[in-house]
This record gives sequence, C-alpha cells and structure tokens, in this order.
Amino acid sequence: MDRRRINGPPSGTRPAVFASSIKSASGAATERPKRQRQSNELRKIFLKTGIIPTASGSSYVEFEPSASLAAARSSPQSLIPPSSSLKLACTVHGPKPLPRSATFSPNIVLTTHVKYAPFAARKRKGHIRDTSERDLGVHLETALRGVIVAERWPKSGLDITITVLEAEDNRWWGDAADSHDASWGMMNVLAGCITAASAAIADARIDCLDLVAGGVAALVSDESTKDEEGPKLKLDTDPAEHRSIQSACVVAYMPGRDEITELWLKGDSSKASLGDGDQRAGHEALIDGAVDAARGAHTVLAEAVKESAERFIRQAMG
Amino acid sequence: MSRHRMKTVSYDDDFDDDGYDSPEPEEQEFLEQCTKEVLGQLRSGEPSVTATRDEVQEALWHYYNDVEKSVNYLRGKKAKEIQKKQTPPATAKPKVPAYPIPPPTTSPQIAHFSAAEFFRDSPWLNVPPHRKADILVEPLYPRMGLLGGAPESGGKVSKLAALAAARKKKEGEKTPAEATPAVATLSADKTPETPAAEAKPSPLSLRERLAANDKPRKPSNGISTLRSLGKGSPAPSPLKKSRPEPAKPEVPTEPGPEEPVENGQADHKEKEEPEVNIRAPPSGFASTIVGDSTRPMMTEPSHLHSNTADLIRIYGQDLTEPFDFAGPSPDDVVVNAQSSAKGFKSKQPAAKSAGDKKAQGDLAGGMGNLSVAEKVNVKSKNLDVLSEYKKSNRKKSANFVVIGHVDAGKSTLMGRLLADLKAVDQRTLEKYKREAEKIGKGSFALAWVLDQGTEERARGVTIDIATNKFETEKTAFTIVDAPGHRDFVPNMIAGASQADFAVLVIDSSTGKFESGLKGQTKEHALLVRSMGVQKIIVAVNKMDSVQWDKERFDEIEQQVSSFLTAAGFQPKNIAFVPCSGIQGDNITRRSEDPNVSWYTGRTLVDELETSERYSHALDKPLRMTIADVFRGSVQNPLSISGRVEAGSLQVGDELLTMPSGEKATIRSLEVDGDVSDWAVAGQNVVLNLANIDPVHLRSGDVICHSSSPIRNITSFTTKVLAFEHLMPSMVDIHRGRLHVPGRISKLVATLDKGSGAPVKKNPKIVAPGSVARIVVEMDQGVPLEAPTRVVLRAGGETVAAGLLE
Repeated sequence: MDRRRINGPPSGTRPAVFASSIKSASGAATERPKRQRQSNELRKIFLKTGIIPTASGSSYVEFEPSASLAAARSSPQSLIPPSSSLKLACTVHGPKPLPRSATFSPNIVLTTHVKYAPFAARKRKGHIRDTSERDLGVHLETALRGVIVAERWPKSGLDITITVLEAEDNRWWGDAADSHDASWGMMNVLAGCITAASAAIADARIDCLDLVAGGVAALVSDESTKDEEGPKLKLDTDPAEHRSIQSACVVAYMPGRDEITELWLKGDSSKASLGDGDQRAGHEALIDGAVDAARGAHTVLAEAVKESAERFIRQAMG
Repeated sequence: MSRHRMKTVSYDDDFDDDGYDSPEPEEQEFLEQCTKEVLGQLRSGEPSVTATRDEVQEALWHYYNDVEKSVNYLRGKKAKEIQKKQTPPATAKPKVPAYPIPPPTTSPQIAHFSAAEFFRDSPWLNVPPHRKADILVEPLYPRMGLLGGAPESGGKVSKLAALAAARKKKEGEKTPAEATPAVATLSADKTPETPAAEAKPSPLSLRERLAANDKPRKPSNGISTLRSLGKGSPAPSPLKKSRPEPAKPEVPTEPGPEEPVENGQADHKEKEEPEVNIRAPPSGFASTIVGDSTRPMMTEPSHLHSNTADLIRIYGQDLTEPFDFAGPSPDDVVVNAQSSAKGFKSKQPAAKSAGDKKAQGDLAGGMGNLSVAEKVNVKSKNLDVLSEYKKSNRKKSANFVVIGHVDAGKSTLMGRLLADLKAVDQRTLEKYKREAEKIGKGSFALAWVLDQGTEERARGVTIDIATNKFETEKTAFTIVDAPGHRDFVPNMIAGASQADFAVLVIDSSTGKFESGLKGQTKEHALLVRSMGVQKIIVAVNKMDSVQWDKERFDEIEQQVSSFLTAAGFQPKNIAFVPCSGIQGDNITRRSEDPNVSWYTGRTLVDELETSERYSHALDKPLRMTIADVFRGSVQNPLSISGRVEAGSLQVGDELLTMPSGEKATIRSLEVDGDVSDWAVAGQNVVLNLANIDPVHLRSGDVICHSSSPIRNITSFTTKVLAFEHLMPSMVDIHRGRLHVPGRISKLVATLDKGSGAPVKKNPKIVAPGSVARIVVEMDQGVPLEAPTRVVLRAGGETVAAGLLE
C-alpha cells in the first residue's frame, strides 16, 4: 500500500450519478419502474436443468425481466438499468464419499454455498463470501435439509453451489436508503436459490420428499396507497418497483405435503390492508402469499424436472 | 334410550340368525309401539308418504327410537324418491359442502379409508394390474345432512350451509347458460370479461380477496386462484385452517371434491393454462447457455427473443480440422518464413556490398559456435578400474563415525588419537593448547584438532562433521567426527552414512552417563544402526573422573550392551574400552595407572584395527553423494568431496549430477589426499570437476555416470522402523547429506518384525518400535533409489529410519 498518495478504492466502482443528470434522453426525469403485474401475478420463470455436464445435477433459473426493464433493454434511455432480474445457476455435486478425515455421519452432509458473481449486484461483490452470502447459504441449507431423505446416504456429502449471476435489487437505485430499507433483494434471491437447488437435486436424482419451491410475498406501500390504509400484499415483488417494502416473507414450500421447510419473515407486518372481511393477521397473509408464489414456482419446477427425467430416459435408452 | 340397545352378552345364549340382537319381549313391544306411531305420522303428515315396516324400524333403530326424527328422516327420504321419479336430473345434484370451513354439525362418524382393506386381496408386491392406478383417496369431508334428522327447512342449518345451498341453487340456474367453458389466463386479466366468464361462478382468487376493499363485489372473471395451481393439494395449509370463520358471502368456496363433476372441464382448463404460462422462454443470455434447440416452443412472441448466439452450437461445431502430419508443422512454417525473410533482409545489403555477404555469413556461423565457457577436454585413460584396484596393494581402509551424547568427549578423544598417532604434529597441538587456554577452555585443545570452525571452537561443541585421516600399520582410517548436540543430528546422519563402523563415546562420569543414555547416546546408536552400521565400539570415556572404577564400567557395559542388543547390534560386534581422552589412557597405549590394572582388554586403536575389511559394491553403477563443494585451488576451481558408495570412476569420466541433471567431467581426482587416476567404492575422494557451473552442485547431490543415471523420484515406498508414532504428516527425509522436506502420504501396512509379512493393512497410526511399510512423497524430485537407507525426522526428532523398496 502506497501511503504517499491518495489511493483509489480497493474494488471497482461505478461512475457517480448525480441527481441533476437523472434525466433521460427525452428530457423526462427517470422514474421508478412501476409494477405492471397484478398483485398476485407472478413473474415468469425460466428453469432448465442439466446445464453443467460435469456436475451430478445442475440447474439454471432466471426471472423474466419486469416490463420496465424489458423496455429499457430494448430501447435504452439511460446507462443505468431500472431494475434487475434474477439469474442464477446451481450445481450439485454428490452424493460423494466424505473425506477420510471427516467424522462418521449417519446422514448425508449437506453443504450449501451461495456466491454472488462480482458483477451480480450494483455494488460489486468480493471474491470471498461475505456475511449475506453465508446467510443465504444457511437459509438454503435449512430449506433443503427438510426435503432430502438424508438417512439414505450415510457417510456421504452433498455440495450445493449456487452462483448468482444477476441479483435482485434491494431498492430502486435512485432511492436513498430509508428506515424501511433492508436487503429485500436477498429474499428474492433465496426463493430463486431454493427453486433452483430443488431442480438441481432432482436432476442429480437424489431422493426427496417433494419438490420444494421458493416463493416471496411482500407488504408494500406505494405512491398509490393512501396514508390511512396499510401496505398491500403483493406476490413476487421486485423491490425496485416499490417505494417501500414494509415486510417480506420467503418460504420454501412443499405443495405435495403442504409443508413449509423454511420461513423467513422480515420487517413489520403488523399493519396490512387486506381485503374486506379478510381477518387474517398481516404475517398470516404474507405467509399465505408466499406459499401461493411458491405454488406458482412449483408448476415450473415440476415441468423442468419432468424434462430432466425425460432427458435421462432418453440417455438411458441410448 | 341406550338401554334398549343393551346387548345381553351371555355365553350361554343361543344367538339367532343375524347373531346380532336378540330383542327382549318388552323392547320388542316398545319398538312395535313406535313403529305404529311413525307410520301414522308419515301418513298424516304434509307430504303423505308410505313406508314399509322394515324401513321404519331401521330408522327407529338408527335414531334410538326417537319417533320425531325417524319421521323426518323417512319423510325426507321418501319425498326425494318421489322427486327423483318425477324429475330424475334434478336429483343428480350432489350437495356442495362449504369448504374449507367445516360445518358446526360435524359428526365424528366418517367412513375411514383403510389402506389395509383396500389391499386386502393384493399380496405383497404382487398387485394385480388393474389395481395399479393412481389412488385418489377422497378427502374425508363431513357427510352433510345424513344424520341431520331435522328437516332441511328447519332452523338448524348453519349459515354456511345455507350459503352453500344458495350458491348451488344459483349455479343450477346458470349452468344451462354456460355455452362454452371460460378460457382465461393470468395474462388475460385485463381483457374485458365475457358474459360466459362472468356467469362462471369460479372460486375467488386471492387477488380478489385482496382487492376486495377496492371493488368488493367485482365478480370473478374466471382466473383460477393460484391456490388451485397446486394440483392435488390434499388439504389447505394449517394456517388456513386456523383462520377465523368468515361468514360473509365473499367466502371463497373452493371446489369441493364432488364439484368437478359438473364444471370439471372448465376447471381443468383453468388449471392448465397458467401452468404453461408461468414458464418463461430463456432470455438471450440463457439461450446461449442452454442452447437454442432446448428453447421451449412458445407461440407467444417474446421481447426476449433476439438473434442469439448459441454457444452450444458454436462449440459443437467441428471447426478445427485434424492436423495432417505429412506436411510441415506450424512451427516449421513460421521458422521457414522467418528464415526466408532473414535471407531477404541479408540480401538487400548484399546487393550493395557483395563482399560483406560472405563475411556476415561467417560471422553468424561463428557466433553460433562461440560459447563463453571454454570446454575442457580431459583425456580418459580408459583404465579397467577394477583390475587396477586388484593389482594395487593398498592398505585396507575403513571409515568410522564417532557418535555420542553432547560433551561426551568425542572430539577430544579423536584429537588425542590423532595426536598420539602423530597425525597432528606437536607444534600445532601446542598452538591449539595455547589458544584454548587463552579463552579459558584448556580442556578443549585436543578437540580443536577436529573442530576447525571458529564458532565450533568458541562454543566448544562440534557443529558439522569433520573428517580426518590417520594410519596404523595395517589400516588407513578416516575419522568422521559427528556432532553430539541434538540440534545437529542431520549432520550426524550425514556422517554416519559414510561410516563402516561406529565408535560410541560414553561419558562415564556420574550423572552424565545417565543423561546421555536418555539423550543422544540412544538416538545416535539407533540412527547408525538404521544407517546400516553393523559394528560398534563403545569407548567409555572420562574413566579418570571416576578413578577407573570397575563397577562403574561394568554397570555401563551392562546397560549399554542391553540397549545396543535391543537396537539390533549383535553382541559379537559390540566392544567396550574404558579410556580417557584427555589423558590418553587406553587409546594408543595401555594405562599405567594402577587403578586400571583390572582391564586387560585391547586399547581403542587395537580395537579399531580388528575391524575386518569391508566389501563394497565395486561393480555396481557409480553412486557418490557430494559431501562438500569447494574451491580447491587455482588450478582446480571446482572440487567436490565425498565417499564413493558404489561403482568406480576415473579421470576423464563424464559424470551426471542429480537432481540438476547437469554433466561434468573429472579433471583430476584425489583418493585420501593422494592424486590418483581412479577411485572405487569405499574410498573418500576429492573430484576436481570441469565443464560445469557450481550452481548445479550442492552437497547432498548424487554423482553418477550418464550411462546409468539415478532417477529423480517424488515418491517412494520404504520399510521403516518407527521411533515415534507415525501418521500421515510432514517429515524431513535425510539421506546422508541430502535432506528434503516431504510427507508421509500413506501407511501401507505394519509388518511383522521377524518375517516382514504384513500384519495390518492401512493402519491409522504406527506405534513406536514397530516396522511398517509407508509411502513418502516429496515436492521436488530427489535422486533416490532402492536400496538406500533413509531417515525420517519431524520437529527436530528422528521419527523413523528405513530402507527404500
């Protein structure tokens, strides 16, 4: 380190964007992207298994870009994309024998690694996993532990590695961080991770109780919401599209057994304006919403796994 | 009432036909009375119906002889039968239970589905094919109205049931109007609602529930709920169950299990549609990963589609052609092009000055031949070394290593030996004595004969091995004085590897012997034994400090011999000599001290001379480990010393040094200080080399002939004697001067000490004192070959010694 001169930051930076320059080419100020889906409408999901031939199982998941992002991509007005859409790849290695030095384990030893690519988020990530990535790994492990029939592989290990190629934003890039700000994008990433890992595990043909799918729901308050009424429930939120997210919930849900293996609720869900006569508490509505989102993801997951199975049968046939 | 149903269970009783009930006369009388009453009421009631006696009695039995309920039940049943006869389709409508809220009149009596029953006639794992189907267990919903008893019009029906009935009625009215099933998609949300869709009373979605505060009465437009996406979801989530009962008309009534009968088709479509639709086509990025062919065929145009580059297709293409080796290689092509270009360049000036051309060509050729180092050509005399060796009548020569605990007096003893045998002249000895006294270490004067280094002299410990020669009438000896301090054990190993036999020096003074036996006395003895030394002479030194006590000597002899025998020396190869290095008693001359009269054995020199001639592998390929690399003189700028371990060499030989793999030529050589033309195994030689850079030579390197080179290996299997617990771990591998870091990578087996047969395969750990076969790996290639003795050390301690296999 050279102390005699002013050093640049250790990692890469993005050019500074000043408020005055937040004008598009047409002269209109850049605006927050608007959610154009219904509140219970999910983004479309592309899910494909078996993309990495060397891994025992693999999958790739991406969310359809929101309408504003798609528009910005087709006719760019600014260098800054209005929002981002999740893209991630999951690899499963195993079941493989544990190293000799490891202690005996009657169950499969599950290791989950979630790593953001350096370019995945607006803020560059380092090459070493930071706390949020480790946190995601732990959440993912809990979600999957309840699904895998672990006692079927004693003395074995299963490594699940997820590379996030494009992460969801935590908020709109033009917003300043406020009191409601939290890493909301992480929850969407976790939901994607769960779905992708589930598909990859199925692709690796590891026995599971059910295909576990991840879903996200959030209580959001936007410009349209009046002050007196609380935040509204939206499924599969893109955090860039909302002024403030009051609370969000991600679940890992097994539709076949109607069980939740992982539940992560964040924020204040005490106030929620649900439909008339809907007596549910805010968190109940949130969890139900997330479960609904997971059911939606499950349909895609089931299709992808079916394709994977068909591919396997074709391979086996010749 | 239950008393009427009491069975008189008595084993003496004869059971009648049905074996179930044997009504007592008074019960029968009561039943008769009730039957009449019921029949009367049925006839006289509003819709007059008739019923058989049996029916009435059965109903009475079910309702515990409650006349009113039985009448209600029968009337309802009969009325339905009549209705069915009149309008058969109307009765086809099953009841719609309100879902998910169970009605308050829930009866615990539910027909349980029993898997055991179902599979009763199916033997284990041999299910008949017609049974192999999807088993759809109907959810156990309460059977409404069966045991209600009360008239349907009665006030006992719950609000919910009333609601369900109203809905059903409405549905019944609208069903005929439903011409085509509503097809709706999630994306079709914004499309105006078709009348058909509006008419379709599909379940309300979550969204509508949510949006209810905005437009509470907006009818469903046929979008299926997301909840219905989960096909075959057996039960609502537990959270749903615990929800308080909303008794409003908006209550979502999901299709019950019976409902799909009527709107199954529409329902099915609804379920299918969003399922397809939530799948997105791959983006441009994704299709490069997964390949274009795998893109699902979506009829719907997507903004994501673009002219994508398909990596799979690009990589899949066989763009490269197999190389045809008949033609020139690409390198050749380049070289040819370059040389032709050069020729072109050199031609240009040549056109101007033709005279220069030849000179330039010569110069280029000359430059190629020019080398900075001038090649020394040494003529080999091409001697037959072995026959020369036989012809020469040399004195027999022997190397011995002096070992023992630190401060046992090894160097002093050897100094005395050399002084007494006139190998060191008196003047030098006097000089040492003066200098030693000057720094207050008079007793070290003799040791200085061997300890030449300034540090060694200042500290009074031997650090590196020192060699010196002396001759007796019969034998030429080379002393290898090894350091006793435990920090310098690697040097001691280097010395021991050059030795034919060993002299173990033991300090007999009180306390020193005991500490020595615990310390390096033991380790050195074990090491020399594992280095292959067979014979050992134990010089019990400093006997003068214990007044030549015979008991002390016997005690030491007894302890040391038992230890040495345990270490593997044969008793006949162990000799004990009591002596005093500082005074010179019993070294070359017998002691004149009257206290020593008890000792009648040989002196140390006599003992040394009894050593027999050692045979060396003369006809094997040349192997010599470099002990030292030094600048001999101006004539011989590069010299190496060492002991020829195997084979022979002569002046002019081309040598190969390993591991560097460089070649060198012997310019001249000295054997035991005398210039000679040849040398054989067992001799200590100094080779003056030519045609090699000193950077390629390091002590510990191995010299061999290029005709039979030693190979550099990175892993070897060895049979070792463990001194410590052996586990796969990092070790230092010592072989003479050579020591390299490595690791024990595998413990192959522990072996039986006697037979060498494997006792236990793949042991986790090898206990001290046991013999094992292990695999050792090194990071760099090391010139080692079987059979070589190696010593493994770790953390400053010798952990094992063994023989390469």
